[in-house]
Order: sequence, then C-alpha cells, then structure tokens
Amino acid sequence: MSDALAIRTSGLGKRYGSHWALRDCTLEIPSGSVTALVGPNGAGKTTLLHMVIGLVEPTTGDVEVFGRSPRRDAKAVLPRLGFVAQDHPLHRNLSIADTLTYGRKLNPSWNQQLAASRVERLGLSPKQKIGQLSGGQQAQVALTLALAKQPRLLLLDEPVASLDPLARREFLNAVMEAVVDDGITVVLSSHIVAELERVCDHLVTLANGATQLNAPISEIVASHRLLTGPRSDGASVARVHDVIRESHTERQTTLLVRANGHVYDSCWEQHEVDLEEIVLAYLGYQPGNGASAARAREAVRS
Amino acid sequence: MTWVGWRLQRTEAIVAVGILALLAAFLVPTGIQMANEYHRDGLAACLSIDTPTCGNAAGSFRQHFQSLLTLANWFTLVPGLIGVLLAAPFILDLERGTYTLAWTQSITRRRWLVGKVGTSVLTAIVIAGALTLLFTWWRSPSAHIDGRLETGNYDTTGTVLIGYTLFALALALALGAVWRRAAASLTVAFVGYFAARLFVDYSVRDHLVAPLKATYKGAQQPSFLDNAHIISIDATVNGHQVVNGGGFLFSGAKFAVPAMSKAVFNVVYQPQSHFWPLQLTETGLFVGVAAILMLFAAWWTTARTA
Repeated sequence: MSDALAIRTSGLGKRYGSHWALRDCTLEIPSGSVTALVGPNGAGKTTLLHMVIGLVEPTTGDVEVFGRSPRRDAKAVLPRLGFVAQDHPLHRNLSIADTLTYGRKLNPSWNQQLAASRVERLGLSPKQKIGQLSGGQQAQVALTLALAKQPRLLLLDEPVASLDPLARREFLNAVMEAVVDDGITVVLSSHIVAELERVCDHLVTLANGATQLNAPISEIVASHRLLTGPRSDGASVARVHDVIRESHTERQTTLLVRANGHVYDSCWEQHEVDLEEIVLAYLGYQPGNGASAARAREAVRS
Repeated sequence: MTWVGWRLQRTEAIVAVGILALLAAFLVPTGIQMANEYHRDGLAACLSIDTPTCGNAAGSFRQHFQSLLTLANWFTLVPGLIGVLLAAPFILDLERGTYTLAWTQSITRRRWLVGKVGTSVLTAIVIAGALTLLFTWWRSPSAHIDGRLETGNYDTTGTVLIGYTLFALALALALGAVWRRAAASLTVAFVGYFAARLFVDYSVRDHLVAPLKATYKGAQQPSFLDNAHIISIDATVNGHQVVNGGGFLFSGAKFAVPAMSKAVFNVVYQPQSHFWPLQLTETGLFVGVAAILMLFAAWWTTARTA
C-alpha cells in the first residue's frame, strides 16, 4: 500500500533563518513515474529533494519515501534511493575504479557488473582520475554510482544544468535506459523545460516555495488551451475555466486557460499550447493572488 | 567505511609518514652521536655518584649538545602539525561538498562520522606513538643527565605527545566542522595548538599534581632535588630574605657569600618520581579536551549541516 507512492509530502516546509526555502508543500509522486520538478532558481527544488533523501531536516510537515521517513528510518530508506546532487560532487583525486569501490563499500545492494559495464560503455578507463574527466563524464560517473546502488527511486538535482547540449542528451538517454530496464521511479529537478517532455511523464512546478501544478504531462498538455479573440476582459471564460495568464493588445486578447471540459464559446479561437509555455505561465502565476487570476475572479463576482 | 576512510586519507597519511621519515633522518645520526659520547665518557655509570670528574663530563656533554637540544625543543610543534594534517580529509569532505555523496549512500551519517574520525584518530595515535619512541631513544642520554622533567624531555617522551596530537586533530576538526574551509581551519588550529601548549606549559603543568614542599639548610643542594623541577625557591639568612622565587634579592645589601651556608631554603618542587603522574594527568587533560571537541564537531556536523 505504501509502495504505490514513491514520495508523499504534507505541509512540508524548510526555513533558513527568517527565509522560507520551501513552504507548505503537499504532493504525491506515484511509484513508476518519471517526474520533472520544474521551477526557477531559488524555488526550493534542491531543498525539497534534500528533504526527500534526508540530507535536510524539515522545519514543518513531513515527508515519506515508500511510506517511511528518510530521517528517522535512514537505514531502510537510503539503500532504496539513488541521488545525484547538483554539480554531482565526486572525489576528484580518486580514479574511476576507486570511485566504484567507494560505492561498493558503502552500499550492500551494489551491482559491480552494472557499474563496470556502464563505465566501459561510456568509453572511460577505470584508471582515469575523476578530476581529469569532462563535466559530462563526471555527471555520467555520478549517475553510474547512483544506478549501481540499484535504487527504486532515483533523485536527480539539476542533472543537466551544467552540461552542454550533447552531454545533456546523453545523460537523459542514460536515465531513460535505466527507467526502461529497471522500472525505477525518477524525480529530476530542472529550471530548463526543454527536453523534459521527451523523458518525463509527470510534472510538478514549484515557484516561490510552493507547488502549482502536479499532474501527468499528457493531462497537462491536453487540458490547456490558448484562446485568442477580440479584446475583452475574459470574464465569461473565467467563469468556467481557470485563466492562467492573459495578455492584451489593442484589438485582441490572448488567454492561457486550464479548460474544464470543452471551450464552446465561438468568439474564441482555440490553439494547442506546448508544455514549455504552460510551465512558464504557471511559474509567473501565484494561486489566489496572481494578478490576472484574481482580476478574472473579481470580474466573475461583480 | 573502513576502506573509504583509509583511501580518502591516503595522501595525508603519506605526508605524515614523510614528516616522520624527515625527522628520523635528522634524529638518527645525531642520536647515535650523542649516545656514543655518553657511553665513551662513562656518564651512565658515574651519574649516581657525584664526583668532580663526573660533573665535568656531564658539563661537557651539555656544552657540546646544548644547541642541538635547544633546537630539538621546537619539535614539540610536530604533534600539532601531524594532528591538523590528519583533520584535512574530514574538512575537505565538507568544503568540497563530497559529504553529501557519502550521506546519500546506504550508510548512516553516524557510521560515516565514526569511520572518518576513527581513521584519523587511529592514524594520529600510531604516528604519535612512533614519534614518542623515536624521541625517547634520542633523548635518553639527556634524560639521564638532566632528568625527564626537563621541558624538552618531558614534552616528547612518555604519553603526552599522543595527547597533544589528538588535541590538535580535534581542534582542527571542530573548527573545520563549523568553518568548512580546510586551509584556514588547519592554520588557525595549528596556531591554537601552539597557544594552548604554551598556556599549559607555563601556567597549568606545575599544578597538575600537587607539588612537594621542603625546607633545608646550607648551600649544598640536597639529593632529593636532583633533576627535580623547581617551581619556586626562596632563602633567608638570619631572617633576611636573600633569594625569592629563584632569583637573588640585592636590596638587602647584607648579602655575603659565606652566609649562604647559614641560609634556610624553602623550596616547592616536582620530584623526578612525579614524572608519570604528571604525564598521565596532562595526557588525560589533552585527550579529554580532544574528546569534547570531537563530540562537538560530530554534533555540529550532523545537526547543523544541511
């Protein structure tokens, strides 16, 4: 029963001094999904992932991984998690072989064959020092370390942010391979939306320390529409659908809406909208007090 | 974690052994030279019977090796150097963020801490033990002539050197846990080690074990003061104080050498037999402070980091 959910958080928050890095975060990530955790820099993505793996103690609320607390039950949770931290820290003066031994010594479920064959496929020699590898190669070694642990949940914190486009593609391919081969659950955070659609089937957006969107990507793309029509305040649309973003020119109004069912109003021209645009709209949207949404709702009431 | 602890400390351990080898390269030839002279002059046999020839031989030995022995007093900094050096792997893990790598493998952070700090502590004890053996051999002629309570001999033979090393290690660990800058933490810890050593040497050591008090008459120093560490001495002649705290007072102007035979001396001292009680108490003091600092470093790292 607990295994149906890889991650469950409720009211999760972390405060550093007087600054809340993450606030009242409640979300569920189903087992077997590949989830993109998207938000601008400073949105609390790293803090959230660090609380999931138990590096950071929550200030408020709680977090469960496969039904267990990563802090209080670290011995049970840690072997089931693979983690690649931002900038994938590794010991630079160790060779690749030593790095793999490091993983083998610290993980009872270590798969040395998997690790060795991955290194070989990357075209790397076990004798090479980590410090001599390129950023992309280091990220791949860090991923190898996390995968050879044979985790059920893989957490990747901004795995591709520091990589060039080619290395980025190779890294994401490696993640996808692991998903296909072993059916592991993946959560990867990113401030870049491009390419995520290819890899992920689930999306969570995080902005200003809170979540806005948490749904399968197919559902998100299917339910959002871009409406264009003659200039108006969009109130009639807002009565039925959620207006995420509105913009006006002198003669025309454009609305990005999350449609509840079909939009029947014939004065609006409907367009498909891609994931990146939806995500960007959400990251500028604050539920309850977002300027456009609030105005739209007020218009409804009056 | 054992393999990981050793592997990540390899460079520092090699440097520490290198320091040991450099010291040995200096100490072994000079030690052989000192031992040869000591045996040639028959000092070992005659020290118990105080004769003028013997006194001359001891004097010439002192004169011959004084500068070497004074120079060697600086080696009391070596335990500090070894100690802070062995703290480096722990602080570097924090500085470079690789501790997150360790904490996200399958082991608990308590186990990581024990493995990491345990490796440093064990290495420190082994290196400090080897240093003590080396110094004890090197200083054995000097220890016979001037006693083991002489500062240079006291600091490097016995058990205190292990305590000093562990203290330096723990001080660097505690600073590094908070500061997370290896170079800065090690430098400040080394300076702090030196300051703590000076403080203990000059203000604490004399009182670690209750000193003895004695009163004697006459200019001839009694044999119980042989090689004793004299904390204070004052002398009165016919009720006038002539010596105070080890120094002569000339203000009385009544001072005359023949009168010294009538002088009454009050002396406070640590006898030779207090060597081990002093050593063990001082070792306990440094190891105790080291343990507190390490517990602080462990608590700060697990509770405050991330």
